[in-house]
Amino acid sequence: MTKRISSKTGLVFFPAFDWAISPTHPEREERLLYTRDQIFEEGILDNSKIREYKTRLAEEKDIQRVHFCVPDISAQTTMAHFISAGSTLKLADAFMAGEIKNGFAIVRPPGHHAMRVVHGNRGFCNINNEAILVEYLRKKYGFRKIAIVDTDVHHGDGTQNIFYHDPDVLFISLHQDGRTLYPGTGFTDEAGGPGAYLKNINIPLLPGTGDEGLFKVWEEIIKPVLSEFKPELIINSAGQDNHFTDPLANMLVTAQGYAKLTEELKPDLAVLEGGYAIETALPYVNLGILLALAGEDYSWVKEPQKQSKVLKQSADVNKYVDKIVKYWYKELSQKPPSKEELYGSTGIYSDERYIYYDTDSINEKQHELAYFCPDCPGIYQVLSQSNKSYGQNYKIDGITIPIFACPVCQKKAYDLWETEKEKGKSDIYYLQDKVKDSYLTVGYCSKKTK
Amino acid sequence: MYIGIDIGGTFTDGVIISKDQIVASVKVPTYEDISNSIETALIEVLSGIEPNKIKQVTLSTTLITNIIAQDKLKKAGLLLIPGPGANPNNFKFPCEYKILSGAVDYRGRVIEDLDMAEVKDACKYFAAQNINCLAVACKFSQRNGSLEEKIVTFIKNNYPEIKVLASNEVSGLLNWIRRANGAFYTITTGEACNEFDKKIKSTLNKVGLNCPVFVLKADSGTLPLEMSLRYPLETIFSGPSASTLGALACTEENITSVVVDIGGTTTDISLILKGKPLIAEKGAYINSFPVPVRALAVSSSALGGDTPILIDNGRIEFGERQGSALCLGGSTLTVTDILVYLGYSDIAASSDVKEEVENYAKQLGLEPKKFSYSILDLFINKIENKLEEMFRLWEEEPAYRIWQVLSSKKERPRSLICLGGPAKGLGEYWSNKKGWEVVIPSYAHVANAIGAALARTTIKFDFFADTERMSYTTSIGGLQGVLKEPLKNTEDAYRYALEIYNGIAQKWHVDKNISLETLYEEGFNVVRGWQTVGKIFQIGIQTEPGIRRFLKGEKAND
Ligand SMILES: [Zn+2]
Ligand SMILES: [Zn+2]
Repeated sequence: MTKRISSKTGLVFFPAFDWAISPTHPEREERLLYTRDQIFEEGILDNSKIREYKTRLAEEKDIQRVHFCVPDISAQTTMAHFISAGSTLKLADAFMAGEIKNGFAIVRPPGHHAMRVVHGNRGFCNINNEAILVEYLRKKYGFRKIAIVDTDVHHGDGTQNIFYHDPDVLFISLHQDGRTLYPGTGFTDEAGGPGAYLKNINIPLLPGTGDEGLFKVWEEIIKPVLSEFKPELIINSAGQDNHFTDPLANMLVTAQGYAKLTEELKPDLAVLEGGYAIETALPYVNLGILLALAGEDYSWVKEPQKQSKVLKQSADVNKYVDKIVKYWYKELSQKPPSKEELYGSTGIYSDERYIYYDTDSINEKQHELAYFCPDCPGIYQVLSQSNKSYGQNYKIDGITIPIFACPVCQKKAYDLWETEKEKGKSDIYYLQDKVKDSYLTVGYCSKKTK
Repeated sequence: MYIGIDIGGTFTDGVIISKDQIVASVKVPTYEDISNSIETALIEVLSGIEPNKIKQVTLSTTLITNIIAQDKLKKAGLLLIPGPGANPNNFKFPCEYKILSGAVDYRGRVIEDLDMAEVKDACKYFAAQNINCLAVACKFSQRNGSLEEKIVTFIKNNYPEIKVLASNEVSGLLNWIRRANGAFYTITTGEACNEFDKKIKSTLNKVGLNCPVFVLKADSGTLPLEMSLRYPLETIFSGPSASTLGALACTEENITSVVVDIGGTTTDISLILKGKPLIAEKGAYINSFPVPVRALAVSSSALGGDTPILIDNGRIEFGERQGSALCLGGSTLTVTDILVYLGYSDIAASSDVKEEVENYAKQLGLEPKKFSYSILDLFINKIENKLEEMFRLWEEEPAYRIWQVLSSKKERPRSLICLGGPAKGLGEYWSNKKGWEVVIPSYAHVANAIGAALARTTIKFDFFADTERMSYTTSIGGLQGVLKEPLKNTEDAYRYALEIYNGIAQKWHVDKNISLETLYEEGFNVVRGWQTVGKIFQIGIQTEPGIRRFLKGEKAND
């Protein structure tokens, strides 16, 4: 992975002016209109430090590398999803070609609520842009250790789910507490599977947390965790709904806060996630992040609303921030239990739960299994059944061979797949072989071709 | 009949075109005062032709370029109202500036008022330095020009001797830095443009012409001379427009081709895609300052017939122009000499340069012919690299809509139109080597004037309406106003935009027969708290760039 040095910041801007979930949905055409106006009006795209790239389409394989789309990719995606995901890949290629030192994909639709199994749209997301980016970087460019820092106000439950058993991907999410906000998860005890324990760091925060709290958790939790993990690459899920004007959440972060965090975090690639204060936050936060990435002065980026609102954190919030800082300090300074201990005597991690798809009103029942292997991250299996009020329901069985799987696990996974198909309890069987980059589906698809 | 006049560095060319034929063409020297060259060219080209038969004169001038190159710009100051955003002190401006309070946002709402005491101080400061041109630029002034106008009014009332211009009158483009620079260059060249206009009018009188006069723009369209007083910057960099259109004249409809204009010192490459010259995605720059001027995508390299050949560490390199070619009395071996040696050019005898070519070849231990061909190969390679870069830029133009991402841009040209002195030789060699179709128009020596004569008026018009605020703005400077009706859907908005466009088109004398192209038309629901409170519409229309007609019998030429 030798790279030429560049001083430029790459930008892919894809506002999807001709795509929306529905005409008045928060995720609609208007969402990046004012961001477009602000960034273009600033004249900064003439700055030689910023290079704008044309977006491109992701390929089906890029999506298969991450997701089990039910019943298939075309049912779960539109062209806009292929382009939004493709934008991040475009930046990855430019980054690896040494054309840029970092990059920002200001794109929609977002993706961080999309989990490995996709029965429909959750939290405005169908496919997970950052996960697709990570797997692409690992497959195409041979990265191993990548960190994703999710600064969206909502817990990045999709990204957490996808990398929960992956010891080489560190996922850090700071968000408004799941007790007061969608998707209701992201607690500290969700700390990674037995094979990837403490590679999933959740930092739930109280409503009313502002720049002050943000920097405290940055300094005291995120920064040390990152320096301990030593990622080869940092990706930022740059959601902007922590902003004090966001209509869907209750935080007090400013554009300056976001820009400063970007400057500190120094993500290699940043990808826009949520952020629905499309007038009062997005134009300023997107600009602030872009300027910070480019190493330009962002101190003039100030929301006009700022003066009129009190953005000071309450004493309760301060106390809570201290508490979570202390919690993670304690957790991370102890020696964690070994992988063997965590898997226990069965050598199998098993978790059953229900997942709700808010946008599409689907209830999914999921059974996840992770198999212990002393030599590699081990095989992952998911059994999932959708329950929707309209449309067809599917029961699926998906097996994943992780990208750094050992030969024994690779063989075991194919054997398991055969056995499962033999049993015939599901409608669709998936085998995601990330080592060979080969993705097999049997059931729905073969029925269709017959 | 149409007259085209092209003012070049050394020569001014004039042609008269009647239907699809060139009926007259002249070449006169370019004088320091270009209006004299225009007068001479007009008198000569009109000899024996009834002036009342002339329907139109189109000029491709170097007026603005000369003023800027000769540093004859008026002293000026900039008053900037940045509001929130990037730090304006990190941008370079072409003159001294003062930053003022006040702000307008993206929807044209005033979010912070001016501080008139600051405005007064700034004006006092500039007045004390005897600066009598001021340009005012406010971020988002194209959405709401009121802060700029307030300052303009203040200056007019208090400093009648100072000329002042608001950036929203120059352009409605989204890029306030370009608008600020645009306002600066517009106000500082204004006087010279007025003088030029007067001189041209008196010249026309003298030669008995009373037809409309147009000026060629950087984007290959034209605008009426009287409009060029308001938008003088539009007339800068018209040279590549003239040559590209001139090249286009020898083709047929919908052709996709590369135009290579090889001069003594530089080579310009432009592209014709499906009959339309390619326009650069970003606007033009003047002295490295970005300005709100649309221009053709042109790639220039410092390579030409007079480019000397150097030998550096056993490798062939190109140097900077020293003078003319050896065969024309110069002192160093040049590309032109190689063409002469190989028989691709007949401006001199091959024997004139034989000795020097052999000397050079010996230094490299090469056989003279092989040496010569490797020079042409190097030349062509360099141009091909530039071409590749242009294609890449074109294919990589950002797209903000799904349909734009999906529409492919793959069709690359396989033909070449060559203009300029060494064009014939290099074109022939290119054709032999690459198997491309290479066209060298027989009128190549006056191609630019032909391009000017055949150019037509084009407008790119962007319309933006906000029904919640009941306001609209357009990209053509100075046009913003209150919507007279609530636009319900995109069709309404298109109709409304078209009406405004037609008003402008009339002023610009746009030919009604040119087809209109819709670049984009879209409506956005402005939703607040789950309620649709209004709509924003964006409509983009343009008259397709291109030429009035093709010249006859030019195609069969290989
Ligand atoms: Zn969010
Ligand atoms: Zn294994």
